Amino acid sequence: MPLHQPGGSGRTKAGRSLPKSVVSLTLFLLSFISFTNQPGYAIPAFARKYGLPCSACHIGWPILNNFGLAFKDNGYQLGNDKDSPIYQNPAYFPITFRVTPQWHLENQTKVLIDQTGAEQSVTTHGFDLSGLDIWTAGTLYKNISFQVLPSMGEGDTFHFESAWVRFDNLLNSPWLNVKVGKFELDNLLSEKRFLTLSNVGGAWFNYHFLPQGDSNGFGGIGDNQLGVELAGHNQNSYSRYSIALLSSVDGNPGLTTTNAGAAAGSTARTYDVFANVNQGFAVKGLGVQRIGAYGYFGQSPTFYLTSNGAPVEAKGNRSFSRVGAYGWWFIKDLDVETFYMHGQDNVYLGNNIPANNPGGLPPGAVGPTWNGGFVEAHYTVNPQFIFTGRYELVHMSRQANPTLAQTPNLGNVDSWTIGYRWYPIMLSRAGLAVHNEYSQAKMGNTSSLTGTDQINRSVMIGFDFDY
Amino acid sequence: MITKQQFLKIAGLAILTIGSSSLFAASGAAAAGNAPAPSADGASVVGKVKFTGQLPQPAKVSMNADPSCAKLHPGPAVSQDFLTGSDNSLGNVIVFISDGLGNRSFDVPTEAVTFEQKGCEYAPHVVAVRANQKLKMVNSDNTTHNIHPLPANNREWNKAEPAGSTMEESFPREEIAIPVKCNVHPWMKSYVAVFKHPYFAVTGKDGSFQLPNLPPGDYTVEAWHEKLGTMTQKITITAGQTKSLDFTFKAH
Amino acid sequence: MVLTSITRKIGRREWRPWLQILTSNGELLMNTGSKRLGLTLVLALVVAFPSWAQEAHVGDLTGHAANGKKLYRRYCVGCHGSLGDGNGDNAQWVDPRPRDFVAATFKCRSTPTGTLPTDQDLFNSVSRGFTNSNMPHWDSLPAQNRMDLVAYIKTFSPRWQSEKPGDPIKIPPEPAVTAQSITHGGELFQKMECWKCHGQQGRGDGPSAATLTDSKDQPIRPYNFADGKDDSRFKCGGTNDDLYRIFMTGLDGTPMPSFADVIQPNDAWDLVHFLRTLQVHRHSKENDVAKGAGIKAPAPPSDKEKPSGSGN
Repeated sequence: MPLHQPGGSGRTKAGRSLPKSVVSLTLFLLSFISFTNQPGYAIPAFARKYGLPCSACHIGWPILNNFGLAFKDNGYQLGNDKDSPIYQNPAYFPITFRVTPQWHLENQTKVLIDQTGAEQSVTTHGFDLSGLDIWTAGTLYKNISFQVLPSMGEGDTFHFESAWVRFDNLLNSPWLNVKVGKFELDNLLSEKRFLTLSNVGGAWFNYHFLPQGDSNGFGGIGDNQLGVELAGHNQNSYSRYSIALLSSVDGNPGLTTTNAGAAAGSTARTYDVFANVNQGFAVKGLGVQRIGAYGYFGQSPTFYLTSNGAPVEAKGNRSFSRVGAYGWWFIKDLDVETFYMHGQDNVYLGNNIPANNPGGLPPGAVGPTWNGGFVEAHYTVNPQFIFTGRYELVHMSRQANPTLAQTPNLGNVDSWTIGYRWYPIMLSRAGLAVHNEYSQAKMGNTSSLTGTDQINRSVMIGFDFDY
Repeated sequence: MITKQQFLKIAGLAILTIGSSSLFAASGAAAAGNAPAPSADGASVVGKVKFTGQLPQPAKVSMNADPSCAKLHPGPAVSQDFLTGSDNSLGNVIVFISDGLGNRSFDVPTEAVTFEQKGCEYAPHVVAVRANQKLKMVNSDNTTHNIHPLPANNREWNKAEPAGSTMEESFPREEIAIPVKCNVHPWMKSYVAVFKHPYFAVTGKDGSFQLPNLPPGDYTVEAWHEKLGTMTQKITITAGQTKSLDFTFKAH
Repeated sequence: MVLTSITRKIGRREWRPWLQILTSNGELLMNTGSKRLGLTLVLALVVAFPSWAQEAHVGDLTGHAANGKKLYRRYCVGCHGSLGDGNGDNAQWVDPRPRDFVAATFKCRSTPTGTLPTDQDLFNSVSRGFTNSNMPHWDSLPAQNRMDLVAYIKTFSPRWQSEKPGDPIKIPPEPAVTAQSITHGGELFQKMECWKCHGQQGRGDGPSAATLTDSKDQPIRPYNFADGKDDSRFKCGGTNDDLYRIFMTGLDGTPMPSFADVIQPNDAWDLVHFLRTLQVHRHSKENDVAKGAGIKAPAPPSDKEKPSGSGN
């Protein structure tokens, strides 16, 4: 850009164009000035409480940065002895609403149509609402924190997404914290706090994957679970661990297990374990890098004792596991999440056969196994503008039923997502994100007529409000 | 290949860059100049400061928080905001030349100006010094004081001064005037005015002032009072002339 | 200062005056051609220049203000404000008030009263945070980020250009904790009349305590030594060295003065040892020695020291 054109334009009358040099200088100054005037202000609830901007705790809300992670690990406390509710303005109440009105388009290929008896691509689109989250969290007292998240889906269905109380810093140590209730597993890469929301891209497939025909009621490490968790971290939350004992009910209250779609009331009897450790280390000039490993070891029932036809006790528990490793890499304003999972279900779960009927297993049946992972990158242009992109896959390494040889890819997922979030306002009182996303997923051999691959696509334009 | 105009611009940028950093440097570091000696044909400005209207009743000050101070005042102590004399003269007014001296610089006197804490009050209540001139602060009381100036154009500092001790400090930059307080005794308040030049005076109870040995020229004379604000007057003065100038503050 | 006020205008988003300068002078620019344009551009760069040049150094880490500026916008602006004057959006609900970087008066320093802190002092403050205030401990940020922030906050006041930070005070090695040291410290506490604000038992209830205000005229309480079982409530650090520094450098911006001119270094250590015995609930060598030697805790204020009556 030339800073100066010798001689100027020679025109002097108002209304004529300014010389190029003036225009380019104006643009240069304007870009400089407007860039330096991003008001990086605060988020609801916690920002209101502490006076911090949203961007202090979130790379681009809701995804947490190092400071926000340390705050959350410490029981939503800054640790300055000013966290208890009695220090707050009497009118303060920690509650946040989140809802995303949107326009979206969904397309699925190879859907079997009744009218034609053939497969074709199906498209729907229109204006819509996401569910509504009413989220309240904070401290009841020093070192007693809580969260309650009633959530309403589309169609006005209501459920408790999470509800827990946590006793923080036991024996005055950040290494001992006990959480009880229904809560998100301590996944460092948190699906509740990520940047994609569409029908296809709004969940990590790895966090919910089950092979086709599998009767395991476990919904994946992305589902909130009921149980008790012991977790800890060092002072700056670079070293972290958690270990949880959970009921094998996939978070369904009422001692209700689910088994491949059939909710069985009051039958729960067994427990799962989830463990997770991660370590961060600062790399000069780049940021904090984190690596970790996890394992979920659980059991699911394969049949029920019934009384008058109603299930009363879950039986025939067979085991499953989800193990893997992950990393979160920061290269200045670019951060990349890498994730690997190895999943394994018992042969009875994989073939949907009760454990007291070994003869029911097809010949050569095995426990299904799969491997999956994703790479997700975020680029933070500034605290109010963030790009996101992801490639994810889950591939079966062993199908439960070897007679499915002609569909070796059955249940495989290959997907990618791109999008951005722009936060035009980031006030102390509320947040708003303009959310644009395109997601696409190829499901292996799932079409009902031909057993070939199907592709699901989502386009989403939404306004994500956080009050 | 750069053109002459581009070269001039680069040079200008370099000069302004260097110049801007020195702009931020402590002002008052003027080029070493010759301080004009008091001249036989030096002029002077004399006058009186008065007030019209009704001044508020001086507020009573309670020193009960520190019995060793209360002891020194058998009668009630009053605030020192207004010092008045007979026929409405106003004391503790700083009268000084605020404009017209140009870039002259003046040698800093080597003797110190003394300022005392006595009876848990500052004496004098308003004192004027030169930039970088020593201010000698004496604690004549039987109690610890702290000296805490709250300047806008100089560094804020805070030093404890136990009974009977003396300390010396100076202020490098001109400021009219720096409030000084003692945190232990919250009623104590004084003002220190710091000048780059010697043409200032603090009126006594009788309101009179004089600014001698002025070189001839056009000047703006300003009068400052801690509560009643400031007033200015322009004068032109010739060699050897004694100009008379009065200020009358309006009390609200 | 003209240049400072222009900088402030840009920071305040009042960029319209700049545009007007350009467009209202558009006629001039066009008439005189290159010179005015060049000068305007040069002025713009010069205005921006001081902030981008600021650096901070601790050990082998160097912080740069340009990086610090992005971090400041992300983390600090809600309280400290976009002008760095402690008047952020949320400052009105924050008590104690956020630090005013424009005044450049800092509380926790290793340097004498009235002087600027070292980069290490500022780095420590950002990392440690200030307990009992809204200033978090930012040690979850990498050290490089904190260094960049220190460099950036130094751009808010022109004093960083014209003055060097003070020389950190020399702290002699700590002598042994003895009954004699503690007793002598107690005598200093009386002689320097610390109790006038801190109270005879160091509970922050001295005769002058209720009237104390900081340099922004906000009410402020003196430190209460008797509260709490540990050192977590000292805002400037809780080691013996930190206590030494606190009364020898003073806490600028607060009523706490510096005693460096009136207390000798060895006497200062005696005072530190005595102050530790005011922390009656804290297990410490000083408390053990005092107990062993039968040194009594200071008595509550006697009647003759109590303020007599209220008001006049």
